[in-house]
Amino acid sequence: MSLASNHSILEFDGVSFMYQRDNEFIHNLTFSVDNGEFIGLLGANGSGKSTILKLASGILRPSRGSIRLWEKPLQLYRNKDRAKLLCYLPQLLDMNVLFKVRELVSMGLYPYEIIPEMTVAESLEMVGLMEKSESYLENLSAGERRRAFIAMTLLQGAGLVLLDEPLANLDIKYQIEIIRLLRELRDKKRISIIMALHDINMALQFEKVMLIKEGKILGIGNPEIVLSEDLLKEAFDVSIEIRRHGFEGAYLKGLKS
Amino acid sequence: MSKIRILLLILISILIALSSLFLAPKVINPFQLDTTARNILFFIRLPRVTVAFLMGMALGASGAVLQGILRNPLADPYILGISSGASLSAAGVLLSGFYFFGKFTIPLAAFFGASFVSILVGFFGWKRGGLWPERLLLAGVGLSFLFHAFLMLLMSISPGERLGRTIFWIFGDLSVADWSLIPYGFLLIILGFIIFFSRAKALNALILGDELAHSLGFSVHRERLLLFVSISLMTAASVSLGGIIGFVGLLVPHIMRFFIGADSRVLVPTSAIGGGILLCMADLIGRTIMQPVEIPSGILTAIIGSPYFLYLLRRRDVLGK
Repeated sequence: MSLASNHSILEFDGVSFMYQRDNEFIHNLTFSVDNGEFIGLLGANGSGKSTILKLASGILRPSRGSIRLWEKPLQLYRNKDRAKLLCYLPQLLDMNVLFKVRELVSMGLYPYEIIPEMTVAESLEMVGLMEKSESYLENLSAGERRRAFIAMTLLQGAGLVLLDEPLANLDIKYQIEIIRLLRELRDKKRISIIMALHDINMALQFEKVMLIKEGKILGIGNPEIVLSEDLLKEAFDVSIEIRRHGFEGAYLKGLKS
Repeated sequence: MSKIRILLLILISILIALSSLFLAPKVINPFQLDTTARNILFFIRLPRVTVAFLMGMALGASGAVLQGILRNPLADPYILGISSGASLSAAGVLLSGFYFFGKFTIPLAAFFGASFVSILVGFFGWKRGGLWPERLLLAGVGLSFLFHAFLMLLMSISPGERLGRTIFWIFGDLSVADWSLIPYGFLLIILGFIIFFSRAKALNALILGDELAHSLGFSVHRERLLLFVSISLMTAASVSLGGIIGFVGLLVPHIMRFFIGADSRVLVPTSAIGGGILLCMADLIGRTIMQPVEIPSGILTAIIGSPYFLYLLRRRDVLGK
C-alpha cells in the first residue's frame, strides 16, 4: 500500500446519498482519483461539493454504491488506519480556540502510536510558520491560520488530502499563497489533493477539475475542456463569458512565480 | 513558561491548604498539639480541606472537559441539570426529615439525583447513534428548569425551620465534611479523571469540531459519550460531597485558559488544581470572617472569583495580545 502505487487511490462507484428519505442529494457518482492528482471540485452553492468530500472522508456513508480507498472499501478501515491515509479539512476553520500553532499542528500525530519521521518543526517550516509556532491561533491572520491547519494535515502524513473551500474568505494574496503551497507539497510528497471551490477563475488554474451540479458530475478532466461556457452556464445558472487570452493574468503569474 | 505557572499553582494550593488547616478560625500550632487541637485538626479541618479540594478539583476539571465537548464557553457541569436533580433529591430529604441511611442519606440522595438527571440528559441528547452538543445543552437547560421548579415548589410548601438548612446545602455546605464519605467521593472523582486522561487527545480533537476529530481518526460519538460519563461521575461525586458550588465549573477553566491555553492535557489538570484552590480559599474565608456564622462556600467562590475573572477579561494581554 505504498503511496507511490499507480492504482487509483480513491474510487467512487455508483455512489448515491440522501440526507432525507426519498430525497436523493448525490446521484450515482462514479469517478476515481489517481496518485498525485490535484483536483478542483467546482460547483455552485448547494451543488454537493461538501457532501462529496464528506462521503470520501467517511463522515457520511453512501446510501447506495461503494467507495474504495487504496482499493479497500472505505468502511472497512479502522478509524486510526484511515486517518493515516486520508485527511479532511472542513470548511470554516476560523474558530477561536486558544491553541498554539505548535499544539494544533502536533495533533496531526494523533493517529500514530509510533511517531513518524516528520516532525512538527519540519511541517511548520514547510508552510512557513516556524516563527509563529508559539503564537495562539486567534492571533494569526486568516491565511496563516489556514496554513497552520495545512501543516497539521501534512504531519498527519495522509496520501489523500480533501480540502473543503480552503480559499473561502481569503484575500487573493493568500489564495495564491495556499494554492502554491499545496502544489509544492503535492510535488514534494506525491500526495493527491481534492479541493472544493466555487471560484471559476481559480478553477482554471487546476490540472483537472470536476464540475458538479445537483449532485451529478457535469464534466471531469482538463479545465480547458470541462469549463466550457455551456457547461458553466448549466452549473452556475448564469451566462458566463470566458476569455482565455487573459490566461497570463494575475492569478497565473502569482502561481508561477 | 507554562511549567513555571503550573508549579506556582501547585505551590499556591499547598499554601492555601496549610493555612486552611492551621490558621483559621483558631490558630493551631502543628508542633504543639494537645488532644483537642489534634481532634479539631484530624476530624474537622482535614476532612473539610480534603472535601473542598476534591470538590473544587472535580468541578474545575469537569467544567473544562464539558466546555470542550460542547464547544461552548458558557457550559458548566451544572448546566446539564445535574445540580438541579441533586438539589431536588437532597432537598427532599432535608425538608422531609427522613434520614433513612443516617449521615449517608443526603450524599446518597444527591448522588442518585445527579446520576438520574445525567442519564436523562444523555437520553434526550442522544440521536442517530450519538450525543450531540446542542441537544445535550438544551436537554440540560430544559431539565434544569423542570427540576428547579419542583425544588421551588417543595420549598414553598415546607415549614420554615428546615428551609434554612436546605438553602445552606444548595449553596454549598462543607460543614458536613466527614471522613466516612471521602473515600467514595475520591474513588468516583479518580475514575472520572482516569477516563478523561485516556481520552485527552480525543477531547482536543473534538474541540476542533466533529469532522476534524473524525479526520484525525477518532470515533466521535464514542469519545463524546465517554467524556460525558467522566463529567457525570465527577460532578455527581462533587455534589454529593458538599452540595452545589457555583462559579468553579464555569469560570475556573476560563481563568486557566487565559494562562496556559486550551490544550486539554494541561488545561483539565490545571483547572482541577485551580478549582481546588478557589474552593478551599472560599471555605477558609467563609468560616472565618463572620464567626460564628458561616457563609456558604458556593456564594463565596463567586464573590472571590468573579471580580478576578472580570479583571482578567479586561487585560487579555496575558495571552500576549
